[in-house]
Amino acid sequence: MKNLHFREFFKNFLYDLNNFITVYENHLHVYNYQKLNKLSSTEIILTLDDKQITITGDNLKIKQMTKQELLIDGVILKVEFKYE
Amino acid sequence: MNKDIIWLKIYTNGYYNLLLKLNDIGITILDNKKYKDYILIKTSYKDYERIKKYLISYKIEIYDSAGYLKIKDIVKKYRIFIMGLFLGFIILLITNNLILKVEIKSPNKNIQNLLVSELKNYGLSPLRFKKSHNKIEKIVENILDNNNELLEWLEIKYDGLVMIVNVTEKTNNEENKTYDNCDIVARTDAKIASLNIYRGVALKEINDYVLKDEVILSGSITFNDEVKNSVCASGEVYGEVWYKVKVTVPFKETVVKYTGKNRYNLKLKINDDEYQIFRSRIQNKKEKKINLYKLNDFEINLIKEREYVEEDIILSEEEAYNKAISIAEEKIKLKLRDNEEILVKKVLKKQVNDSTIYLEIFIVMKENIGVVKVVEGVNPNDTQSDPESIR
Repeated sequence: MKNLHFREFFKNFLYDLNNFITVYENHLHVYNYQKLNKLSSTEIILTLDDKQITITGDNLKIKQMTKQELLIDGVILKVEFKYE
Repeated sequence: MNKDIIWLKIYTNGYYNLLLKLNDIGITILDNKKYKDYILIKTSYKDYERIKKYLISYKIEIYDSAGYLKIKDIVKKYRIFIMGLFLGFIILLITNNLILKVEIKSPNKNIQNLLVSELKNYGLSPLRFKKSHNKIEKIVENILDNNNELLEWLEIKYDGLVMIVNVTEKTNNEENKTYDNCDIVARTDAKIASLNIYRGVALKEINDYVLKDEVILSGSITFNDEVKNSVCASGEVYGEVWYKVKVTVPFKETVVKYTGKNRYNLKLKINDDEYQIFRSRIQNKKEKKINLYKLNDFEINLIKEREYVEEDIILSEEEAYNKAISIAEEKIKLKLRDNEEILVKKVLKKQVNDSTIYLEIFIVMKENIGVVKVVEGVNPNDTQSDPESIR
Protein backbone atom coordinates (compact mmCIF):
# COMPACT_ATOMS: atom_id res chain seq x y z
CA MET A 1 0.00 0.00 0.00
CA LYS A 2 2.75 2.36 0.91
CA ASN A 3 4.60 2.04 -2.33
CA LEU A 4 1.76 1.97 -4.78
CA HIS A 5 1.64 5.70 -5.36
CA PHE A 6 1.76 5.23 -9.08
CA ARG A 7 -1.43 3.21 -8.94
CA GLU A 8 -3.03 5.73 -6.59
CA PHE A 9 -2.10 8.57 -8.88
CA PHE A 10 -4.04 6.92 -11.70
CA LYS A 11 -6.91 6.18 -9.35
CA ASN A 12 -7.08 9.85 -8.40
CA PHE A 13 -6.80 10.85 -12.00
CA LEU A 14 -9.63 8.54 -13.05
CA TYR A 15 -11.94 9.13 -10.10
CA ASP A 16 -11.10 12.78 -9.72
CA LEU A 17 -11.59 12.40 -5.98
CA ASN A 18 -9.40 13.37 -3.07
CA ASN A 19 -10.62 10.53 -0.97
CA PHE A 20 -13.05 7.63 -1.10
CA ILE A 21 -14.38 4.71 0.90
CA THR A 22 -14.95 1.23 -0.52
CA VAL A 23 -17.06 -1.28 1.35
CA TYR A 24 -16.50 -5.01 0.78
CA GLU A 25 -17.98 -7.94 2.64
CA ASN A 26 -16.48 -7.65 6.16
CA HIS A 27 -13.91 -5.13 4.89
CA LEU A 28 -13.83 -1.38 4.50
CA HIS A 29 -11.13 0.48 2.64
CA VAL A 30 -10.60 4.19 3.33
CA TYR A 31 -8.36 6.16 1.03
CA ASN A 32 -6.70 9.45 1.96
CA TYR A 33 -7.98 9.95 5.49
CA GLN A 34 -6.62 12.76 7.60
CA LYS A 35 -6.86 11.44 11.10
CA LEU A 36 -7.86 8.41 13.06
CA ASN A 37 -9.80 9.87 15.96
CA LYS A 38 -11.17 6.82 17.73
CA LEU A 39 -10.55 3.13 17.51
CA SER A 40 -12.43 0.41 19.33
CA SER A 41 -13.94 -2.98 18.55
CA THR A 42 -17.38 -1.43 17.87
CA GLU A 43 -16.63 2.06 16.58
CA ILE A 44 -14.00 3.75 14.44
CA ILE A 45 -14.07 7.53 13.85
CA LEU A 46 -12.05 9.10 11.01
CA THR A 47 -11.64 12.60 9.62
CA LEU A 48 -11.74 13.03 5.83
CA ASP A 49 -11.35 16.63 4.52
CA ASP A 50 -14.56 18.39 5.57
CA LYS A 51 -16.38 15.41 7.03
CA GLN A 52 -16.19 13.00 9.88
CA ILE A 53 -16.95 9.33 9.30
CA THR A 54 -18.16 6.97 11.97
CA ILE A 55 -17.96 3.24 11.25
CA THR A 56 -20.03 1.10 13.54
CA GLY A 57 -19.74 -2.68 13.72
CA ASP A 58 -18.65 -5.73 15.67
CA ASN A 59 -15.17 -7.00 16.30
CA LEU A 60 -13.62 -4.21 14.24
CA LYS A 61 -9.89 -4.42 13.66
CA ILE A 62 -7.31 -2.60 11.60
CA LYS A 63 -5.96 -5.06 9.04
CA GLN A 64 -3.58 -2.69 7.27
CA MET A 65 -2.62 0.88 7.96
CA THR A 66 -0.48 3.56 6.34
CA LYS A 67 -0.47 7.36 6.66
CA GLN A 68 -3.03 7.59 3.86
CA GLU A 69 -4.99 4.39 3.84
CA LEU A 70 -6.84 2.10 6.21
CA LEU A 71 -8.19 -1.39 5.70
CA ILE A 72 -10.73 -2.22 8.38
CA ASP A 73 -11.73 -5.80 9.07
CA GLY A 74 -14.85 -6.92 10.98
CA VAL A 75 -18.63 -6.93 10.79
CA ILE A 76 -19.56 -3.53 9.43
CA LEU A 77 -23.08 -2.46 10.43
CA LYS A 78 -23.20 1.24 9.64
CA VAL A 79 -21.13 4.02 8.01
CA GLU A 80 -22.14 7.55 9.00
CA PHE A 81 -21.04 10.84 7.45
CA LYS A 82 -21.12 14.08 9.40
CA TYR A 83 -20.33 17.33 7.55
CA GLU A 84 -18.81 20.17 9.52
CA MET B 1 9.33 -2.79 -2.14
CA ASN B 2 10.98 -2.86 1.22
CA LYS B 3 13.12 -5.93 1.57
CA ASP B 4 13.58 -5.59 5.34
CA ILE B 5 10.14 -6.71 6.49
CA ILE B 6 9.81 -8.01 10.04
CA TRP B 7 7.20 -9.30 12.45
CA LEU B 8 7.25 -7.44 15.79
CA LYS B 9 5.97 -8.90 19.02
CA ILE B 10 4.61 -6.10 21.20
CA TYR B 11 3.43 -7.07 24.68
CA THR B 12 0.16 -5.28 25.47
CA ASN B 13 -3.49 -5.89 26.24
CA GLY B 14 -4.61 -2.60 24.67
CA TYR B 15 -4.84 -3.53 20.99
CA TYR B 16 -6.81 -0.43 19.90
CA ASN B 17 -4.78 1.91 22.05
CA LEU B 18 -1.55 0.64 20.56
CA LEU B 19 -2.84 0.95 16.99
CA LEU B 20 -3.91 4.56 17.64
CA LYS B 21 -0.45 5.32 18.94
CA LEU B 22 1.17 3.65 15.94
CA ASN B 23 -1.11 5.68 13.67
CA ASP B 24 -0.12 8.89 15.46
CA ILE B 25 3.56 8.29 14.81
CA GLY B 26 2.87 7.32 11.18
CA ILE B 27 3.74 3.63 11.25
CA THR B 28 2.78 1.47 8.29
CA ILE B 29 1.18 -1.81 9.31
CA LEU B 30 1.18 -4.48 6.61
CA ASP B 31 -0.58 -7.07 8.75
CA ASN B 32 -1.32 -7.72 12.39
CA LYS B 33 -2.51 -10.55 14.63
CA LYS B 34 -4.07 -10.07 18.03
CA TYR B 35 -3.28 -12.46 20.87
CA LYS B 36 -4.15 -12.44 24.55
CA ASP B 37 -0.99 -10.81 25.90
CA TYR B 38 0.68 -9.55 22.79
CA ILE B 39 0.18 -8.33 19.26
CA LEU B 40 2.16 -9.38 16.21
CA ILE B 41 2.69 -6.55 13.76
CA LYS B 42 4.18 -6.88 10.31
CA THR B 43 6.07 -3.74 9.44
CA SER B 44 9.36 -2.49 8.01
CA TYR B 45 12.64 -2.43 9.89
CA LYS B 46 12.72 1.35 9.47
CA ASP B 47 9.35 1.65 11.24
CA TYR B 48 10.59 -0.73 13.95
CA GLU B 49 13.28 1.80 14.82
CA ARG B 50 10.64 4.56 15.04
CA ILE B 51 8.44 2.37 17.27
CA LYS B 52 11.41 1.69 19.56
CA LYS B 53 12.12 5.42 19.71
CA TYR B 54 8.56 6.60 20.49
CA LEU B 55 6.90 3.71 22.31
CA ILE B 56 9.46 3.28 25.04
CA SER B 57 7.02 1.94 27.60
CA TYR B 58 6.23 -1.19 25.51
CA LYS B 59 8.22 -4.38 25.52
CA ILE B 60 9.05 -5.00 21.88
CA GLU B 61 10.99 -7.78 20.27
CA ILE B 62 11.55 -9.05 16.75
CA TYR B 63 9.44 -12.18 16.36
CA ASP B 64 10.38 -13.21 12.84
CA SER B 65 11.78 -11.71 9.72
CA ALA B 66 10.76 -11.93 6.09
CA GLY B 67 12.38 -11.29 2.72
CA TYR B 68 16.02 -10.23 2.75
CA LEU B 69 16.23 -10.21 6.56
CA LYS B 70 14.93 -13.78 6.69
CA ILE B 71 17.73 -14.91 4.34
CA LYS B 72 20.23 -12.98 6.43
CA ASP B 73 18.94 -14.70 9.59
CA ILE B 74 19.13 -18.17 8.00
CA VAL B 75 22.69 -17.54 6.83
CA LYS B 76 23.60 -16.33 10.31
CA LYS B 77 21.94 -19.32 11.98
CA TYR B 78 23.46 -21.97 9.70
CA ARG B 79 26.75 -20.21 9.03
CA ILE B 80 28.89 -23.13 10.23
CA PHE B 81 27.01 -25.61 8.06
CA ILE B 82 27.13 -23.29 5.04
CA MET B 83 30.84 -22.64 5.55
CA GLY B 84 31.46 -26.39 5.88
CA LEU B 85 29.51 -27.06 2.71
CA PHE B 86 31.41 -24.32 0.88
CA LEU B 87 34.77 -25.58 2.14
CA GLY B 88 33.82 -29.15 1.24
CA PHE B 89 32.92 -28.05 -2.27
CA ILE B 90 36.25 -26.23 -2.63
CA ILE B 91 38.15 -29.30 -1.36
CA LEU B 92 36.18 -31.49 -3.78
CA LEU B 93 37.06 -29.15 -6.65
CA ILE B 94 40.72 -29.09 -5.65
CA THR B 95 41.03 -32.85 -5.19
CA ASN B 96 39.27 -33.46 -8.49
CA ASN B 97 41.52 -31.10 -10.40
CA LEU B 98 44.90 -31.65 -8.79
CA ILE B 99 47.75 -33.81 -10.08
CA LEU B 100 49.39 -35.77 -7.27
CA LYS B 101 51.60 -38.04 -9.34
CA VAL B 102 52.93 -38.17 -12.88
CA GLU B 103 53.39 -41.69 -14.23
CA ILE B 104 55.40 -42.01 -17.43
CA LYS B 105 54.95 -45.41 -19.04
CA SER B 106 58.39 -45.88 -20.57
CA PRO B 107 61.28 -48.10 -19.45
CA ASN B 108 63.77 -45.62 -20.93
CA LYS B 109 65.11 -43.31 -18.20
CA ASN B 110 66.19 -40.68 -20.74
CA ILE B 111 62.71 -40.51 -22.21
CA GLN B 112 61.24 -40.29 -18.69
CA ASN B 113 63.51 -37.38 -17.76
CA LEU B 114 62.86 -35.66 -21.07
CA LEU B 115 59.09 -35.90 -20.63
CA VAL B 116 59.21 -34.78 -16.99
CA SER B 117 61.06 -31.61 -17.95
CA GLU B 118 58.88 -31.01 -21.03
CA LEU B 119 55.67 -31.46 -19.03
CA LYS B 120 57.00 -29.19 -16.29
CA ASN B 121 57.47 -26.44 -18.87
CA TYR B 122 53.75 -26.67 -19.65
CA GLY B 123 52.77 -26.68 -15.96
CA LEU B 124 52.05 -30.40 -15.72
CA SER B 125 53.81 -31.63 -12.60
CA PRO B 126 52.75 -32.94 -9.18
CA LEU B 127 50.68 -30.54 -7.04
CA ARG B 128 49.64 -28.50 -10.07
CA PHE B 129 46.13 -28.26 -11.50
CA LYS B 130 45.00 -30.44 -14.39
CA LYS B 131 44.65 -28.89 -17.84
CA SER B 132 41.62 -29.10 -20.09
CA HIS B 133 41.40 -31.65 -22.88
CA ASN B 134 42.07 -29.04 -25.59
CA LYS B 135 45.17 -27.72 -23.81
CA ILE B 136 46.46 -31.28 -23.32
CA GLU B 137 46.05 -31.95 -27.04
CA LYS B 138 48.09 -28.84 -27.88
CA ILE B 139 50.78 -29.76 -25.32
CA VAL B 140 51.06 -33.29 -26.80
CA GLU B 141 51.34 -31.79 -30.28
CA ASN B 142 54.09 -29.38 -29.17
CA ILE B 143 56.08 -32.06 -27.33
CA LEU B 144 55.92 -34.38 -30.35
CA ASP B 145 57.01 -31.53 -32.64
CA ASN B 146 59.95 -30.63 -30.39
CA ASN B 147 61.12 -34.26 -30.08
CA ASN B 148 60.07 -35.76 -33.39
CA GLU B 149 63.36 -37.69 -33.66
CA LEU B 150 62.78 -39.48 -30.34
CA LEU B 151 59.05 -39.80 -29.89
CA GLU B 152 56.62 -41.61 -32.13
CA TRP B 153 53.41 -41.24 -30.17
CA LEU B 154 52.33 -39.62 -26.92
CA GLU B 155 49.13 -39.73 -24.89
CA ILE B 156 48.28 -37.94 -21.64
CA LYS B 157 45.30 -39.05 -19.58
CA TYR B 158 44.10 -38.76 -16.01
CA ASP B 159 43.20 -41.55 -13.63
CA GLY B 160 41.92 -39.83 -10.50
CA LEU B 161 44.79 -37.76 -9.17
CA VAL B 162 47.38 -39.57 -11.28
CA MET B 163 48.46 -38.25 -14.66
CA ILE B 164 49.41 -41.14 -16.93
CA VAL B 165 51.71 -40.48 -19.87
CA ASN B 166 51.81 -43.24 -22.48
CA VAL B 167 54.69 -42.89 -24.89
CA THR B 168 56.11 -44.82 -27.82
CA GLU B 169 59.72 -44.23 -28.83
CA LYS B 170 60.86 -44.12 -32.40
CA THR B 171 62.59 -47.35 -33.29
CA ASN B 172 63.87 -49.03 -36.42
CA ASN B 173 60.99 -50.42 -38.37
CA GLU B 174 61.04 -54.17 -37.81
CA GLU B 175 58.23 -54.79 -40.24
CA ASN B 176 60.37 -53.94 -43.22
CA LYS B 177 63.10 -56.29 -42.13
CA THR B 178 63.96 -58.58 -45.01
CA TYR B 179 65.41 -62.02 -44.85
CA ASP B 180 68.22 -63.22 -47.05
CA ASN B 181 66.52 -66.35 -48.27
CA CYS B 182 62.86 -67.13 -47.93
CA ASP B 183 60.00 -68.83 -49.75
CA ILE B 184 56.30 -68.08 -49.94
CA VAL B 185 54.37 -71.15 -48.82
CA ALA B 186 50.67 -71.96 -48.60
CA ARG B 187 49.05 -71.20 -45.28
CA THR B 188 46.29 -73.73 -45.92
CA ASP B 189 45.03 -76.17 -48.54
CA ALA B 190 43.67 -74.17 -51.46
CA LYS B 191 43.28 -73.72 -55.19
CA ILE B 192 45.39 -70.82 -56.47
CA ALA B 193 43.16 -68.02 -57.79
CA SER B 194 45.75 -65.31 -58.55
CA LEU B 195 49.52 -64.85 -58.38
CA ASN B 196 51.41 -61.57 -58.21
CA ILE B 197 55.16 -62.21 -58.05
CA TYR B 198 57.43 -59.41 -56.88
CA ARG B 199 60.55 -61.48 -56.29
CA GLY B 200 61.39 -65.20 -56.60
CA VAL B 201 60.38 -68.08 -58.85
CA ALA B 202 56.81 -69.40 -59.11
CA LEU B 203 56.61 -73.15 -58.62
CA LYS B 204 52.82 -73.22 -59.02
CA GLU B 205 50.37 -71.74 -61.50
CA ILE B 206 46.84 -70.35 -61.31
CA ASN B 207 44.21 -73.12 -60.77
CA ASP B 208 46.86 -75.43 -59.23
CA TYR B 209 45.90 -77.11 -55.97
CA VAL B 210 48.34 -76.61 -53.10
CA LEU B 211 48.61 -78.27 -49.73
CA LYS B 212 49.47 -76.57 -46.47
CA ASP B 213 53.17 -75.52 -46.27
CA GLU B 214 53.75 -76.29 -49.93
CA VAL B 215 56.13 -73.80 -51.60
CA ILE B 216 54.41 -71.52 -54.12
CA LEU B 217 57.15 -68.93 -54.68
CA SER B 218 60.73 -70.04 -54.18
CA GLY B 219 63.61 -67.77 -53.18
CA SER B 220 66.20 -70.13 -54.67
CA ILE B 221 67.09 -69.25 -58.27
CA THR B 222 68.15 -72.43 -60.05
CA PHE B 223 69.64 -73.15 -63.41
CA ASN B 224 70.16 -76.69 -64.60
CA ASP B 225 69.14 -77.97 -61.13
CA GLU B 226 71.88 -75.88 -59.56
CA VAL B 227 71.10 -73.05 -57.12
CA LYS B 228 72.63 -69.96 -58.65
CA ASN B 229 71.31 -67.35 -56.27
CA SER B 230 69.08 -66.98 -53.19
CA VAL B 231 66.62 -64.16 -52.54
CA CYS B 232 63.70 -63.55 -50.22
CA ALA B 233 60.67 -64.34 -52.33
CA SER B 234 57.79 -61.90 -52.17
CA GLY B 235 54.43 -61.69 -53.80
CA GLU B 236 50.67 -61.94 -53.32
CA VAL B 237 49.07 -65.34 -53.63
CA TYR B 238 45.30 -65.55 -53.49
CA GLY B 239 43.64 -68.90 -53.31
CA GLU B 240 40.16 -70.37 -53.06
CA VAL B 241 39.76 -71.77 -49.57
CA TRP B 242 36.83 -73.96 -48.54
CA TYR B 243 34.99 -73.75 -45.27
CA LYS B 244 32.11 -75.71 -43.83
CA VAL B 245 30.06 -73.65 -41.37
CA LYS B 246 27.50 -75.23 -39.04
CA VAL B 247 24.74 -72.97 -37.70
CA THR B 248 21.76 -73.72 -35.47
CA VAL B 249 19.03 -71.08 -35.08
CA PRO B 250 16.09 -71.42 -32.68
CA PHE B 251 12.61 -70.52 -33.97
CA LYS B 252 11.78 -68.76 -30.72
CA GLU B 253 13.81 -65.62 -30.14
CA THR B 254 13.78 -63.20 -27.22
CA VAL B 255 14.13 -59.56 -28.21
CA VAL B 256 14.90 -56.73 -25.80
CA LYS B 257 12.81 -53.58 -26.35
CA TYR B 258 13.34 -50.31 -24.49
CA THR B 259 10.17 -48.69 -23.18
CA GLY B 260 11.66 -45.18 -23.17
CA LYS B 261 11.31 -44.89 -19.39
CA ASN B 262 14.58 -43.69 -17.88
CA ARG B 263 15.61 -43.00 -14.30
CA TYR B 264 18.78 -41.53 -12.88
CA ASN B 265 20.55 -42.76 -9.78
CA LEU B 266 23.82 -42.25 -7.95
CA LYS B 267 26.22 -44.99 -7.04
CA LEU B 268 29.18 -44.80 -4.71
CA LYS B 269 32.02 -47.19 -5.32
CA ILE B 270 34.40 -47.74 -2.42
CA ASN B 271 37.10 -50.25 -3.28
CA ASP B 272 35.06 -52.90 -5.09
CA ASP B 273 31.84 -52.39 -3.14
CA GLU B 274 29.03 -50.42 -4.77
CA TYR B 275 26.35 -48.54 -2.85
CA GLN B 276 23.22 -47.24 -4.57
CA ILE B 277 21.99 -43.92 -3.14
CA PHE B 278 18.33 -44.00 -4.26
CA ARG B 279 16.00 -46.94 -4.48
CA SER B 280 15.51 -48.10 -8.04
CA ARG B 281 11.91 -48.18 -9.25
CA ILE B 282 12.60 -50.00 -12.48
CA GLN B 283 12.41 -53.79 -12.47
CA ASN B 284 14.10 -54.76 -15.72
CA LYS B 285 16.80 -52.27 -16.50
CA LYS B 286 20.06 -51.79 -18.30
CA GLU B 287 22.49 -49.35 -16.77
CA LYS B 288 24.79 -46.79 -18.32
CA LYS B 289 27.48 -45.40 -16.04
CA ILE B 290 28.92 -41.86 -16.17
CA ASN B 291 31.81 -41.18 -13.81
CA LEU B 292 31.37 -37.90 -11.92
CA TYR B 293 34.24 -38.11 -9.47
CA LYS B 294 37.12 -40.44 -8.89
CA LEU B 295 39.74 -40.40 -6.19
CA ASN B 296 41.88 -43.53 -5.89
CA ASP B 297 39.41 -46.31 -4.99
CA PHE B 298 36.51 -43.95 -4.35
CA GLU B 299 34.11 -43.18 -7.19
CA ILE B 300 30.83 -41.33 -7.59
CA ASN B 301 28.93 -42.48 -10.66
CA LEU B 302 25.75 -41.21 -12.26
CA ILE B 303 23.68 -44.17 -13.39
CA LYS B 304 21.15 -43.96 -16.20
CA GLU B 305 18.67 -46.79 -15.84
CA ARG B 306 16.76 -47.72 -19.01
CA GLU B 307 13.69 -49.88 -18.63
CA TYR B 308 13.24 -52.72 -21.10
CA VAL B 309 10.82 -55.52 -21.77
CA GLU B 310 11.63 -58.88 -23.25
CA GLU B 311 9.44 -60.02 -26.11
CA ASP B 312 9.37 -63.49 -27.60
CA ILE B 313 9.30 -63.61 -31.38
CA ILE B 314 8.49 -66.79 -33.29
CA LEU B 315 10.43 -67.00 -36.56
CA SER B 316 9.04 -68.75 -39.59
CA GLU B 317 11.13 -71.45 -41.23
CA GLU B 318 12.16 -69.05 -44.01
CA GLU B 319 13.16 -66.31 -41.54
CA ALA B 320 15.20 -68.77 -39.46
CA TYR B 321 16.85 -70.10 -42.64
CA ASN B 322 17.82 -66.56 -43.78
CA LYS B 323 19.09 -65.74 -40.32
CA ALA B 324 21.29 -68.85 -40.25
CA ILE B 325 22.77 -67.90 -43.64
CA SER B 326 23.53 -64.35 -42.45
CA ILE B 327 25.11 -65.67 -39.21
CA ALA B 328 27.36 -67.96 -41.26
CA GLU B 329 28.34 -65.05 -43.51
CA GLU B 330 29.07 -62.85 -40.50
CA LYS B 331 31.29 -65.57 -39.02
CA ILE B 332 33.28 -65.81 -42.24
CA LYS B 333 33.45 -62.03 -42.78
CA LEU B 334 35.27 -61.68 -39.47
CA LYS B 335 38.23 -63.42 -41.16
CA LEU B 336 38.18 -61.24 -44.27
CA ARG B 337 41.05 -58.85 -44.96
CA ASP B 338 41.75 -56.46 -47.86
CA ASN B 339 40.94 -57.86 -51.31
CA GLU B 340 39.43 -60.99 -49.80
CA GLU B 341 35.84 -61.99 -50.57
CA ILE B 342 33.25 -64.76 -50.42
CA LEU B 343 33.05 -66.44 -53.82
CA VAL B 344 30.48 -69.19 -53.31
CA LYS B 345 28.08 -70.23 -50.59
CA LYS B 346 25.93 -73.35 -50.74
CA VAL B 347 23.75 -75.11 -48.22
CA LEU B 348 24.89 -78.71 -47.91
CA LYS B 349 22.49 -79.89 -45.25
CA LYS B 350 19.24 -78.51 -43.83
CA GLN B 351 17.57 -80.10 -40.85
CA VAL B 352 14.37 -78.69 -39.30
CA ASN B 353 13.55 -79.77 -35.75
CA ASP B 354 10.68 -78.77 -33.47
CA SER B 355 12.37 -75.71 -32.09
CA THR B 356 15.50 -75.18 -34.23
CA ILE B 357 16.81 -75.21 -37.74
CA TYR B 358 20.27 -76.66 -38.45
CA LEU B 359 22.29 -75.73 -41.55
CA GLU B 360 25.64 -76.87 -42.88
CA ILE B 361 26.91 -74.28 -45.32
CA PHE B 362 29.79 -74.71 -47.72
CA ILE B 363 31.62 -71.43 -48.36
CA VAL B 364 34.42 -70.73 -50.81
CA MET B 365 36.55 -67.72 -49.98
CA LYS B 366 39.21 -65.88 -51.91
CA GLU B 367 42.02 -65.49 -49.39
CA ASN B 368 45.62 -64.41 -49.27
CA ILE B 369 47.24 -67.78 -48.60
CA GLY B 370 50.92 -66.86 -48.96
CA VAL B 371 53.14 -66.73 -45.88
CA VAL B 372 56.88 -66.16 -45.68
CA LYS B 373 59.00 -69.12 -44.64
CA VAL B 374 62.68 -68.45 -43.97
CA VAL B 375 65.13 -70.84 -45.54
CA GLU B 376 67.92 -71.45 -43.06
CA GLY B 377 71.55 -72.44 -43.56
CA VAL B 378 72.33 -69.96 -46.31
CA ASN B 379 75.26 -67.55 -46.07
CA PRO B 380 73.79 -64.03 -46.18
CA ASN B 381 76.81 -62.72 -48.10
CA ASP B 382 75.99 -65.04 -50.93
CA THR B 383 72.37 -63.99 -51.24
CA GLN B 384 72.59 -60.57 -52.94
CA SER B 385 69.87 -60.42 -55.54
CA ASP B 386 68.56 -58.13 -58.21
CA PRO B 387 64.75 -58.38 -58.16
CA GLU B 388 64.28 -56.92 -61.63
CA SER B 389 66.41 -59.56 -63.27
CA ILE B 390 64.71 -62.39 -61.46
CA ARG B 391 61.16 -61.67 -62.56
